[in-house]
Amino acid sequence: MGILAWSSKPEENKDSLPLRSNRKICWESRDGFNKCLDKIEVINPLDPANKKIIEKNCSAEDKRFQQDCATSWVKYFKEKRIVDIKKAKIQKEIDENRATQLPFTIG
Amino acid sequence: MLANRVSKRLLVGLQPVFKTPHVLPSSYLSAQNARKFSISSKCYQEQSPEPSDGESSASKKKDEGSRYYVPSSQKRKPLSRVTIGSSTDNARFRRASDTIEFSSWKAGILFVTLGTGLYFFFRYQKEKMDLQRNEESNRGYGKPLIGGPFNLIDQDGNPFSSDNLLNKFSLVYFGFTHCPDICPDELDKMSACLDILKSKYNIDIQPIFITCDPARDSPEILKEYLYEFHKDIIGLTGPYEDIKNICKAYRVYFSTPPDLKPGQDYLVDHSIYFYLMDKDGEFIDALGRNYTEETMAEHIKNHVDAFVSKEIREKRKQGWFSFLY
Repeated sequence: MGILAWSSKPEENKDSLPLRSNRKICWESRDGFNKCLDKIEVINPLDPANKKIIEKNCSAEDKRFQQDCATSWVKYFKEKRIVDIKKAKIQKEIDENRATQLPFTIG
Repeated sequence: MLANRVSKRLLVGLQPVFKTPHVLPSSYLSAQNARKFSISSKCYQEQSPEPSDGESSASKKKDEGSRYYVPSSQKRKPLSRVTIGSSTDNARFRRASDTIEFSSWKAGILFVTLGTGLYFFFRYQKEKMDLQRNEESNRGYGKPLIGGPFNLIDQDGNPFSSDNLLNKFSLVYFGFTHCPDICPDELDKMSACLDILKSKYNIDIQPIFITCDPARDSPEILKEYLYEFHKDIIGLTGPYEDIKNICKAYRVYFSTPPDLKPGQDYLVDHSIYFYLMDKDGEFIDALGRNYTEETMAEHIKNHVDAFVSKEIREKRKQGWFSFLY
């Protein structure tokens, strides 16, 4: 609740410190939301086409996510999910084709 | 005994060359001279008709000793280097055979241990030198490529300038406290790395966190935020212009979204590298996310070991062995 408080009401900035405990709560809610999306096989939560199915199946998780994380974080994590899934897919392809791994990671 | 025989044979073979009158004892010399002149006169009868004095004929003879024709009946015995009439005949050679022989197992062990030792020694030196050369290229020539003077405020509100980087190694990280996941992960890595360096190698590094979001990150917030990671981390903030300048000096990209409403929540996009600065406050290496806390500690330790101060480096450049560096 702390982070949400300052994101919507700037006058409450003081008691909204970016603390580890707050981050942990937010990350847990994010993981819960992502798990729910995995269940309904939705990759892009920002795509309007997926809006209905998310609302139907994961509305509780989405609400918690919005509540526990700052608005900018919610947007960031949703975008990150798309990138992460793409990355994992590429990595899987690399492993399957036995391609030679470069000596550094991309991104 | 083998060495003895070999050296004797060697002596015999080299006999004409060894005939240098001024090192041999006088009794030997007189006998030699008599023989020398007799041979040389024979020689001159055959090769060059004109006569010359004793000195020059002796020197010529030394050069072409092997080409002289000596009748088989007159073939001389191999000469001994031992003075005629001396009683301590082979003492010198016998002593030589007491030392390590070339074919003995002792020599083999000596060769192997010395060889292995030297191999590792030179390999270590080479690695160190490569690292130093790499650091030197990172420092750049003339104006430093990365880093530069700055004046900021630390988490306790005290001034902190580039002079505070002197006489210790520093690890500089740019970030902001409202960072969702990467900065906290990197700071956790940093604090673990600091602990490894301290406990394993007894190396003290000055950890510095510079905010890219001075509008929201006040000294108080920085203090609260950084204390959760490591008690040693110094958090720096300052006016927007100063932050912009230091980011430029460290080649850090950062961007705050344009047209922000006051109090609006936002993220700052920024580069995520640790900058390792040496005791002269100069940049030596950048460490990215590919490092784990262990590899990062190892890497920093190597840099600390290979570090040579600016003063000595400059002296080396002017010295005789400058081509090595």
